[in-house]
Order: sequence, then C-alpha cells, then structure tokens
Amino acid sequence: MNVQVKRSESLSSASLSRFVIATIGGRYFAFDAEPVQGIVTSLEGGSLQDPVADGIVYRTIDLAARLSLSGDEGRHDASVVLLEEQGIRGSVRVGKVHGLLEIPQALLLALPAQFHGAEQRWYRGMILFERSVAMVLNTTWVLEEPAVGVDVGVGRGGAGRIETVQGVVVSKNDEC
Amino acid sequence: MLRTSERFQQHTTRRSWDVLVFSVGGRRLAVKTLDVGGVSQWGEPVPVAGRTPFVTAVVRLNQMVLPVFDLASSLRLSVQGSPLCLKVRHPLGDMVMCIDEEIPVLHTLHPSMIQNYRGTDVPADGSYVNGLDEIPILSVSRLGATL
Repeated sequence: MNVQVKRSESLSSASLSRFVIATIGGRYFAFDAEPVQGIVTSLEGGSLQDPVADGIVYRTIDLAARLSLSGDEGRHDASVVLLEEQGIRGSVRVGKVHGLLEIPQALLLALPAQFHGAEQRWYRGMILFERSVAMVLNTTWVLEEPAVGVDVGVGRGGAGRIETVQGVVVSKNDEC
Repeated sequence: MLRTSERFQQHTTRRSWDVLVFSVGGRRLAVKTLDVGGVSQWGEPVPVAGRTPFVTAVVRLNQMVLPVFDLASSLRLSVQGSPLCLKVRHPLGDMVMCIDEEIPVLHTLHPSMIQNYRGTDVPADGSYVNGLDEIPILSVSRLGATL
C-alpha cells in the first residue's frame, strides 16, 4: 500500500484542503478528509451490516440511493468510507477510492447557482479531478441519513480490515 | 463557427435584434447575440445528481466548469448529429446547451418582424416568423427558472 498525496509545496498546509476522492455509481465524489475516520476495503460481515472499527459502529448510509445513482454493491473492489462529524458517525459504500487530493482552497469551485434544488445542500462545491469533475459532498448532509441495515453491536467484529485511520488515507493506486 | 445569413448587416438600426439561430432536435430556435458566449464542439458532460429540472450536468471547458441546461430534454427532443456547445450568458453565470450539429446562423431582425411568442414550451422574449415556422427567441435569463 502506498499513500498518494499531491501537495503544492509553496503553500502552507493551512491554505490547503484535503479530499478523499471516490466513485459512486461511476461518478467522482470528494469527501472532506477531516471527517474521514478510515476506509474499509472488504466487508466480512456482508454489505448490510454496519461496519465496526475499534469497537465503534458506523451506521450504513445508502448515499447512492439518496443521490439516485446505481450502487456499487456488485463490485468486488468496493470500499466503505467511515465518517464522523460532531459525534455523528456513518459509513458510505463507494465503488473505488482513488486516493487523497490536496488542493489550495481557491481551487474549490462553487456549485453553479443554476443548480437551485436540494442539491445545494448536498454539495460544498466541485473540484477538477483528472479530466472530469468531482462533486464535493457536504458531510453534514451525508450524515443526516437515518440508519439503514441491521443493528450491529459494538465490538461484534462485523467490519472488515481498516486500511486507514484518522487523517491518513490509503490509496491502492496512484491516480491522484 | 458561425455563418452569416444574407440578411445580416453590420450596420443596423438600434432597435434591430441580432439573433443567432440554431437547431435542437431539428427545431429552430434563436437567441440574442448579446446573450451568446460562444459556440464550440460539445465535450463530455459530467452528470450531477440533483433535483433541478433540466440542469443535470456540468462540462469542463479548460479550468472552468459550467452547468448544462438540457434544452433538448425540456423540449422532449433529441439532439441531432455531432452536437455543438452553445455557451450563453445567464445572469447567474455562463451556462451551456447542447445543440444540433447544424452550424448556427446570424440574423438581424427588424423590429417589425418581432412578435410575442405564442408557445409555452420555452421562455421567450419574442419570436419571428420564417416561412411556416414561428421561431422563439429564447429568454436566457429565464432558462431553468420557469420550466
């Protein structure tokens, strides 16, 4: 495993924003890196169980359904992003984690005002990624989703291997 | 990437309307040239999950990301041929539309040619008659707001 972090050396870390880039339903999304607690790369307990990491349960959030996208359940390389913000925890299944992207704050683009529906709350903005665009998810909105799936007790061991822990996100490739 | 019609004149009266006539799904529409930001080849749109009708994607133009107004879907038509990208100046920011491959044409309309648009399928500032067709002149500022 390797950690791939792109950083502009001339800028202080204070002016940089860090995002975990992942695909959901074949589209790029960016998670703020700070609330990301880790990434589960395999689910031993099945896709319906809430992942447990270090005895902490992360309730499953069906983000693909909320975004009206096809899910990534069938993918053998699917991962789960563990999130925590202000004591609220959740886990989001994604198709692939592309890695950690570190960019100057100025490169975080605003969502065009022509998007005037509920999506204004869904996204914090957009960032250029490869030849495409990644939508930056609003973590607060993501974590609003009520629990989905079965209740798993703390310490039950339903989660797979935790590849990463707070602040350090691991990528299996060098795409970003 | 524009053709000039025979009727287009450089020096026109102040009240004439210069419009760009283009096609979507074979249907002719016009937009005031003041509202046009450019015409280019259509790029690969990036779908954006959302709830805004007919604004469901963005396109990358170099370092810019612009929203796409799906005019064809709003008219229940399909773009024909290898599409072009029409960039328009919307009050909320530049926006693009996917149009037919037919090269848009510039026209100058005498004020006497301009009438109220009788249709309700697109927001229009007016229309003019060309043969049997009534061609709506799109109200760009209302695209995406009233449909």
